Amino acid sequence: MTRDRLIELINQIFVDQFELEPEELTPEKRIFEDFALDSLDIVDLITGLQRKFGISLRDNKDVQQIRTLQDIYDLVEKLARDNPDLIAKLPE
Amino acid sequence: MKRRIVVTGAGVTSSLGYTPAELYQSLLAGKSAVRLMPEWQGLVPVGSDHVSAAPVAISPEKSKSIKRHYRRSMGNAALFATLAAQQAVVESGLAAEILGNGRAGCIISSTIGSSSEVYESTKAVIEHRFNDLSACQFFRIVSHSSAFNVANFFGINGVQLSPCSACASSLQSIGLAYEQILAGRQELFLAGGSDEVTPIVLGSFRHLYALADSDELPPEELSRPFDARRCGLVCGEGAGILVVEEYEHARRRQAPVLAEIIGYATNCTGTQISQSDSASIEACMRLALADAQIAPDDVDYVSAHATSTVAGDREEAAAIRAVFGDRVPVSSVKGQLGHTLGASGGIETAAVLAMMRHGVILPNANLAAVAEDCAGLDLPAAPRQQPVRTVVKNCIAFGGVNATLIMRSAEAGA
Repeated sequence: MTRDRLIELINQIFVDQFELEPEELTPEKRIFEDFALDSLDIVDLITGLQRKFGISLRDNKDVQQIRTLQDIYDLVEKLARDNPDLIAKLPE
Repeated sequence: MKRRIVVTGAGVTSSLGYTPAELYQSLLAGKSAVRLMPEWQGLVPVGSDHVSAAPVAISPEKSKSIKRHYRRSMGNAALFATLAAQQAVVESGLAAEILGNGRAGCIISSTIGSSSEVYESTKAVIEHRFNDLSACQFFRIVSHSSAFNVANFFGINGVQLSPCSACASSLQSIGLAYEQILAGRQELFLAGGSDEVTPIVLGSFRHLYALADSDELPPEELSRPFDARRCGLVCGEGAGILVVEEYEHARRRQAPVLAEIIGYATNCTGTQISQSDSASIEACMRLALADAQIAPDDVDYVSAHATSTVAGDREEAAAIRAVFGDRVPVSSVKGQLGHTLGASGGIETAAVLAMMRHGVILPNANLAAVAEDCAGLDLPAAPRQQPVRTVVKNCIAFGGVNATLIMRSAEAGA
């Protein structure tokens, strides 16, 4: 249930910030090649995730390894496991 | 042999129309874009409890016609400029291969890259909302934002410049394009300006007692260039972009020739940053006439800067009187459009091109009684049908900047 909610919130960032259609957002999609995002978009993705989940990602080395939407789901889920507060504070 | 420089396309984003044709028809019909801005109530300390401006409304659909990849780095000013530039490129028939061959440039400027983005980002920083800052904030704010956004949108890879000089910005951009092509550095430019009206901008003018503010006049009558009851300017916004091109280049590709730019000059007072002075405006017009190698008697019409401020109109009127006497019709479209600041030279030059095409001089709206200090000029108060062949266009800006562009209509031999 929590993972579904995380995915929903992450997908919402892609819809709101990058104007992608919800049906495009499948886990295997590569964010650079398939969504045509670039380095400026990644900065906005990081701040979008920070804003949405109240976490700090700017200096997180794992961010540099992100290639697919699945990678983002996994990263945020890992951060959620390490930080129970994140789940407690998830937006409605 | 001196190169000849022509205009082969024009586009506007304005509060009275989204193309030069729409703008011209609205102006001719006497429409006004000036309205009350209740949404800004409390943000600008006006004396009469109301704020008026002439804003541009861009629908979400129109905005989204620019792909997000390009739009993300645009504040409103750059968006206005891109929408106007699209029209100019289409009218001129410019293919992507020409725009991207290194011989095409882009000179577009504004007072501020995007005053709305300056406000929003400053507010976010002060409130420590760093996650609300976009990666593109810098690109929306910087002074040359409109220039590089338009260049990037069209794949222009020649000279890119942005001579920001507040209300003379776009006329200096067009003039600089003319000079660059004359010097053989490029074959063509997208040139003009864009600007935004926000409470920050309005408040600055208000603070200087330059903003029109009256309990007695309705919003649409607040801006009244050369009139006895003028009491300041009304801020507007938008963009005006031209395709400025070397004549032989235009002829070879069978581009439409809307007019020829035959002269240009810019100077400054060197003594004042906030007040216009007639001597330097007169000098600027005489320099432009000399550059065009024409006499004052050769001019059919003066498109004045005339913002409706008490001092500004007085000084420009004195300068025009000294050069042209009362022989040449003089008008300003700011009575209907407000003062579109850095965009004014571009938008008003596009309006002049429409006047040339239709053989009509658009009037000074709200000119009920000519002010004593503006007397001795021919100031049309209604549209006047007459050939508009050779036109002097003025822009005057804070910082003591003056600019004058002289154009000759296609009919008159461009």
